[in-house]
Amino acid sequence: MPSATVSDSVPIETAHEDMIHDAQLDYYGKRLATCSSDRTVKVFDVVDGDASKTSGGHTLKGHTGPVWQVAWAHPKFGHILASCSYDGKVLIWKEQQGSGGWSKVGEHTLHTASVNSVSWAPHELGAMLACASSDGKISVLTFKDDGSWVADIFNGHAIGCNAVSWAPAVLPGSLITPQQQSIPGQQPQTQSVKRFASAGCDNLVKIWGYREDSQSWIEEETLEGHADWVRDVAWAPNIGLPKSYIATASQDKTVLIWTKETASSPWVKTALDPASAIASPSPASGTSGKFPDVVWRVSWSLAGNLLAVSCGDGKVTLWKENLKGIWECVSDMNS
Amino acid sequence: MVIKHIELVPPLVEAGKFSELVRSGHTVSASFSPSNNSLAVHLAPLESKISATEEHEEGVYFASCDDIPSSERRLFIADTLVIFSMFKSMLKDAKLRDPSWLRTSQAMEIIRKLSVDYVNFIKECWIHASQPLSRPEPLQFSVEHYRSLYSTFSLFVVLFIPEPGYEDAPVGEELMEWLNIHFIEPSTEEGDQLSSLDRPWEDENFWPYLTRSTIRGLSKALLFFLNNLLQHPSEDLQDLIKILIPLVESHPRLPQYTTERDFAYSSRRWKDKVKALRMEMDRIPEESRFDELYDWWDPLSDVVGILEGRGEVIQRVCEELGADWKEVCAAWGIFVDTRLRRQDLPDVAAEILEAMPPDPTSLEDMMLSYLFSGHPAQVLKHASIFDSWLSAHMADIMEPLGLLETDLNSESEVTRRDQYVLDYADYLRSDPTLWRITVAYLYSCGKVGEEQADELMMRVPLQLNASDLDSRSHPRLDSVAEAVKEVSALCREYGRESVRRAVCKIASVTLMRSQDYGLAISYSISAEDWIGLGRIIDAVLNEYIQSGPVVFASHASKIAPLLDETHSSLRTEEIFAHRLMFTVRYSQIHKMRLEHDYSNAASELLVLLRDEIAPRSWWPILLCDSIEFLQYNSQLLFSSSDAIELLRKLEEIFIRSSQGSGDDYLTVLVRIVKGGSEKEALERLKTVRLAIARYFVRCAPGIK
Repeated sequence: MPSATVSDSVPIETAHEDMIHDAQLDYYGKRLATCSSDRTVKVFDVVDGDASKTSGGHTLKGHTGPVWQVAWAHPKFGHILASCSYDGKVLIWKEQQGSGGWSKVGEHTLHTASVNSVSWAPHELGAMLACASSDGKISVLTFKDDGSWVADIFNGHAIGCNAVSWAPAVLPGSLITPQQQSIPGQQPQTQSVKRFASAGCDNLVKIWGYREDSQSWIEEETLEGHADWVRDVAWAPNIGLPKSYIATASQDKTVLIWTKETASSPWVKTALDPASAIASPSPASGTSGKFPDVVWRVSWSLAGNLLAVSCGDGKVTLWKENLKGIWECVSDMNS
Repeated sequence: MVIKHIELVPPLVEAGKFSELVRSGHTVSASFSPSNNSLAVHLAPLESKISATEEHEEGVYFASCDDIPSSERRLFIADTLVIFSMFKSMLKDAKLRDPSWLRTSQAMEIIRKLSVDYVNFIKECWIHASQPLSRPEPLQFSVEHYRSLYSTFSLFVVLFIPEPGYEDAPVGEELMEWLNIHFIEPSTEEGDQLSSLDRPWEDENFWPYLTRSTIRGLSKALLFFLNNLLQHPSEDLQDLIKILIPLVESHPRLPQYTTERDFAYSSRRWKDKVKALRMEMDRIPEESRFDELYDWWDPLSDVVGILEGRGEVIQRVCEELGADWKEVCAAWGIFVDTRLRRQDLPDVAAEILEAMPPDPTSLEDMMLSYLFSGHPAQVLKHASIFDSWLSAHMADIMEPLGLLETDLNSESEVTRRDQYVLDYADYLRSDPTLWRITVAYLYSCGKVGEEQADELMMRVPLQLNASDLDSRSHPRLDSVAEAVKEVSALCREYGRESVRRAVCKIASVTLMRSQDYGLAISYSISAEDWIGLGRIIDAVLNEYIQSGPVVFASHASKIAPLLDETHSSLRTEEIFAHRLMFTVRYSQIHKMRLEHDYSNAASELLVLLRDEIAPRSWWPILLCDSIEFLQYNSQLLFSSSDAIELLRKLEEIFIRSSQGSGDDYLTVLVRIVKGGSEKEALERLKTVRLAIARYFVRCAPGIK
């Protein structure tokens, strides 16, 4: 029975001088960007998952504090990377033609405290970047062709915002909603939505939507369920899934999966239960199991069918919803 | 639920040091790759204040959720895809026909043939794996694994995909054949050892060997040793053996008969003869039933009992021999119920399994038992734990055979078959180079599979070769073209036009960035991405402003061949066709100029202005270009009406600029002239006015 997978790979030596906070692969899985307390961002090439053949990598210097997160833009916008830091800045980096080097092409300085999270919108919406900051504000940058941008900035969570994650551009079920007038010769386009979720120190998760008529971001919904800071939020890609899914990780040692059947139905929460390795829809009293420590990161796979949970006890577990709609732990990782 | 453990090798943290690390405020972070099911894993501080510990390198791991297929497994995966694809195309054809066609013997024949292909292929792999070859890497799946695949898939075919016309034939012989191929007993070595003895019946293995040969229907081996017994000191035994030998020789077996009626008749008569032998045996007095060494009567009675078809004897003997429920089931169809049908097997198997349960620690035994007892869903459940390849491919065949429910699951909205095939595709995704195979499986899984495959197709790296990474700034164009071509062809095959367009769009942008405008334009046209096309045209024109006419002409010359193509496909997008045409024709003027073909260059320039093919912002540039032609000494290149046309355009620019609409006309020239203001641009245009004036003087009769 193949119950143990040995992931045999040579780790990429990042040569960061301090702890790594984030490591993200690009759209094709060919490049790795890392960021660290050493205030730098690094970019490495990955050849067929084999780290040993990678080049030394490029070091991107510009932040004056620890860099918390990096995010790759969709390749149709070029090789572009965003990073956010304790220094309150979001920097936009672009790989230069010819030289192969990276240079800073933008600096977003509207936040007054640490920026904890950056996230690019689905490419169908254009080049847009959402940023979450400890100043309690959320900003959304909308880029123009020439690389300049306009910024929307608004209050998100009273004590601070920890994470942002975009909804898929086309929400489940929207294939059957009225379609936009199609252009002759083009395939009919389905309506896309500009929407994201944010996680805050107010123990809340908020859903934000853009209103074209008022040209502004509106707080659409508030998800209450956590008893402490919400450390991370991840909206699942909707590849063929019938429902919308959001995963949230919290200081209260729980991971909640929020599901929404249709656009008009409410979000229903389910807690992952590490004790029984099986989660059941949580009753109103909320007697769900807890992780041994703070859960601080959740990440969905491309197909949205696997959720990786990083817990403060150093354990990474992978979760999957079974055919009966129950969440089960399918793998754990021994580091 | 089986929880799979993933081990990082080498470990991120030394054994025993983990809790120490956690106590110091560190933890492990994992995030999924956007392109496959691998995770980037690294140590991270739980609180921002924590800094690096000295003993840990700041490394990032890539951890795969599944074992990445090795070369031997990849071969297996790739070769079985061929059969899967044939099966899929058969089902596709079936859809176009009457839905009941799948139940016809013609369809069954195809299904059987392809299923047998799977069996034969697995067999080859098993044989290959058993050979003591020197291999570049150790086998990822053991010989034993392939053997289990072989036995399970074979049994599935025997029980569920019989030869058309034989669906209702007795199944006993086929089951015994299957058992004899996959679970060989008694061993050849035992037979050899016994046959080398003068008095083999004195060996303790003698009777067990004889009984096992009887159960297995191995009459040759049985007869050999029965003949030996004719030398046995007991005359009683000799007499009995003399009756038994012709009985064994004449045991009716189904394949010897053309009709089942004849077979049944012969079987009945033969059984009567066996009964007669039993009576003979019973007549032997108790005291004669053994010799000085041991009792021969009881083991012989077992052999006769098996031939008589006594179920309880077969079961007991099998237990004594250490044989399991499979042996009892197969023997049942040979001795107990010679006319045992496939549809009756589950009931028989259920009874036997109750007395002799399968080995719960062996997935193979569990799968086989569920095949015998007719529970396809349970077979798949265990198969998925054993090897997702097996569950996917069996489910793929089970669905059209009507063995699986085809309803969508209310939670996941996929069928059972799709669920297993999706799981297999998930496993395949652990190796990105298997993307072609992965999408073939995904595209067979309804809407959910299609969408997953779309994402995968869009993530096929357009820069294929590792060497591209060294020359990243100039991706090797042929490899980009190759990748796009391949993805496009597959998109057409699977009818995924939106994916094809998305990939073309990305390719177009990539190529534009590397200044390969020709290919970039053809991809944007192919994607019908008019806005993108506009951007590329602007970029080409920008080459003129940035690098001058020579560079511009060389870039634009690569676009020229596309003009015809665009004419046909751009009918609805006049504006872009127009701009593209201007770009090409304008570049041709420069080409002619560089080749000293001034006369044609001048008249073409005039056409671009007069017919307003040139955008207004480019009029000043064209007018500046005209100076060279106006001042050309050898020949007058413009007629006087042409010159008047030039003047008219020039005046329009001056007048409109004075009215505040300079932006419409002067933006490009402003970028070229020194100083970069509208004032300087207009100064430059004054030189055009002067050149035209002088030209009129040259045109005036008499002065020339």
